[in-house]
Amino acid sequence: MQYSTDIRIIRLMCTGRVDPTMLADAFLEGADGVVVVGCHFGDCHYISGNYQAKVKVGLATRALDYAGLNPERISFSQCSSAEGDRFVSIITGFDQKIKEMGPLGSADRLPLPKLTEKIAIAKTALGKEKLRWVVGKFTEFTTTGNKYGEKFTDHEMWRTLDTIVMDELATFEILSEMQKAPAAVKDLAARLELPPPHVLKYVLALQRRGIVSLAGIEGNSPLYQVAEKSAQQTAHAA
Amino acid sequence: MADKIRIGVFVCDCGSNIAGYLDVKELAEYAKTLPNVVYVKENLYTCSESGINEIKDAIGKENLNRVVVASCTPRTHEPLFRGTCGEGGLNPYLFEMVNIRDQCSWVHMQERERGTDKAKDLIRMGVAKAALLEPQEPIQSQMNPNALVIGGGISGMTAALALANRGYETTLVEKSPQLGGLLLRLDKLAPSDMDAATFANQQAELVKKHPKIHLLTSAEVDAVAGYIGHFNVFARTADGEENFDVGVIVVATGAQVLQPTGMYGYDGKTVINQLELEERFKAGTFSAQNVVMIQCVGARNEERKYCSRICCMVAIKNAIAIKELSPSTGVRILYRDIQAYGMENEALFQKAKELGVLFIKYDPNHPPRVESDKVMVQHHLLGRELALPQDLVVLSTPLIAGEDNETISKLLRVTLDENKFFLEGHVKLKPLDFATDGIYLCGNAHYPATAREAISQALGAASRASIPLSKGVMTAEPIVSTLVDEDACRGCGLCVALCPYGALEIQHTEKGRKVKVIPVACKGCGVCAATCYQHALSINSYTDQQVTEQIKAFLRG
Repeated sequence: MQYSTDIRIIRLMCTGRVDPTMLADAFLEGADGVVVVGCHFGDCHYISGNYQAKVKVGLATRALDYAGLNPERISFSQCSSAEGDRFVSIITGFDQKIKEMGPLGSADRLPLPKLTEKIAIAKTALGKEKLRWVVGKFTEFTTTGNKYGEKFTDHEMWRTLDTIVMDELATFEILSEMQKAPAAVKDLAARLELPPPHVLKYVLALQRRGIVSLAGIEGNSPLYQVAEKSAQQTAHAA
Repeated sequence: MADKIRIGVFVCDCGSNIAGYLDVKELAEYAKTLPNVVYVKENLYTCSESGINEIKDAIGKENLNRVVVASCTPRTHEPLFRGTCGEGGLNPYLFEMVNIRDQCSWVHMQERERGTDKAKDLIRMGVAKAALLEPQEPIQSQMNPNALVIGGGISGMTAALALANRGYETTLVEKSPQLGGLLLRLDKLAPSDMDAATFANQQAELVKKHPKIHLLTSAEVDAVAGYIGHFNVFARTADGEENFDVGVIVVATGAQVLQPTGMYGYDGKTVINQLELEERFKAGTFSAQNVVMIQCVGARNEERKYCSRICCMVAIKNAIAIKELSPSTGVRILYRDIQAYGMENEALFQKAKELGVLFIKYDPNHPPRVESDKVMVQHHLLGRELALPQDLVVLSTPLIAGEDNETISKLLRVTLDENKFFLEGHVKLKPLDFATDGIYLCGNAHYPATAREAISQALGAASRASIPLSKGVMTAEPIVSTLVDEDACRGCGLCVALCPYGALEIQHTEKGRKVKVIPVACKGCGVCAATCYQHALSINSYTDQQVTEQIKAFLRG
């Protein structure tokens, strides 16, 4: 029973411990692929940790995909401690796939170092309240339902999450750009490669929440900056 | 950690298991270059007495405050090396294990150089994590010495008696007004021919008279809070509510017989189930000249995939009873497969055949048809349909999960299987325990069982339950969740809802709502830490920072 020497194992008690930010961390540091291997569904040593992991790895995959990473670089697999052969086949298959893709940045939507910048923003979003709250409620909403007893399908939950991922990543990228210097919506839109009306919507939402304030006017364009009172907080969080 | 980090690395040859495939000398030399490493030793066998002593000596002489062993798997050797650190005067949790055998030498046997390079990475990652380890103390908690048994059938009564006879105050909660469960409705128990109800009533008398058993009939468990050693239970009785504390809980809630409504013309008169047949035996009202029994009614189908396991024996037992009662009565059993495992059951199967009971196999794709005075069945060998005369059809229906199982599973936070039976912690390692500590299961609550099997399981579950009770104090691994940043916690309860073990609760403190970890109930899975958006929770020995440092150590080289 032999497999590729290119794999390093990090031991956790349960895949339930896998924080979505850990996956971002691995790619920030230059990993070409991450595979999360846990118990088979229904046979979790920690009762339900693998179901939580499934949602969290799913979220991280979507966020990093949106950031420009090839989502095939992340795999979530099931294998019991008695299935050595299966482990080898999971690792071998994944290793093969990664080798075909080549190093990070080569088979991805964005090249390095732009990809790394975007992954850093995805990591910030993955560590924050909004995404983590929805992901934390995922199994409740799909199994027992929300407060009003409405149940959602996995598909509906993921569709909602996709939208939130998009909003969160754009929002944190805007903040990251504004931290460098006050910026106009049209400049931000160019840098983010998003339509200006979308960026305006995010900026106005941030302004309403007091996170962003008006810094001045340049020509016809208002310049926005990270509001003084939240600057420290945002810097700390990022 | 004001002290300077001093890490000792011990690299094991494991004879030729590691040294035969990796360059262990090079690994040892490499380890010396790593940050915070002050001492490196290569051992022929680190787990041998001399290896162990070298670790202990080095802790003292070299003033080590972290130990890393690069050898085999923590599954077998981590407890040993932790113990060694403890004996050497170092907190056992300042130890990190690197697996260069299972993860390197064994799986890269043909690639000495690349395997050695990988082992270097793994050691570097282990050292990086070790530097961040914190001392931990085992968690100790007092046990409440009382027990709760839910269910007053044969399993519950047996478990309660076993616990009470060991001297533990036991509360037995039974939903119906009477003890005895399913046995009260059965006739004889195979293979002993013992009268089921008489036996159940005898046990019930023992339960009622036992000074250590507190019996609550017509009662249901309403709410359970807490964890092993400290369960707080509310039971609703006819007279009101009882509240008491127990240390352990045994679930013996039994199962129910599937009523075959709408199947094979079931009417409870000329088409009945096995339970109703036994009730006729008991009442002395059985009379029939031609009996046809149909097996697997409502079982092993799309809706209920499982085999109820005991119905074949029940049919054989009742067929023999019919033959002994009325030898001229014809008995035909239409079956799919016969389950008659074990010496006695096989003997009964043979006896039934000797008494003239006919066994006819049917194909589930062409099930038998019940007509007014006959049953039509396609014979698989003759290849044609047989008409079997009948004046009584008996349907063998499976035991199905108790109607309260979902409620109880939520109350106790224990799992059900796909058929809503209770699910044990592990099929082989913990067959009578739930995954949640301090809660045990036995009898039909788990899966259809004979009285004999249910009794064995009940004795086993009581025995398992008395292990923590007899210790008086619980000691648990300290690799658990910790609230590391109380100020950050907003008391939102997201983690509480996701904890599979009920090990988190919200407390009202001076600082407002805050989460509280119940370390003795926590298993350290880490779901809470991976969920918390305030990053207020962490797992001892698996903190975010420790994992991140391992990632960095690998990829930054």
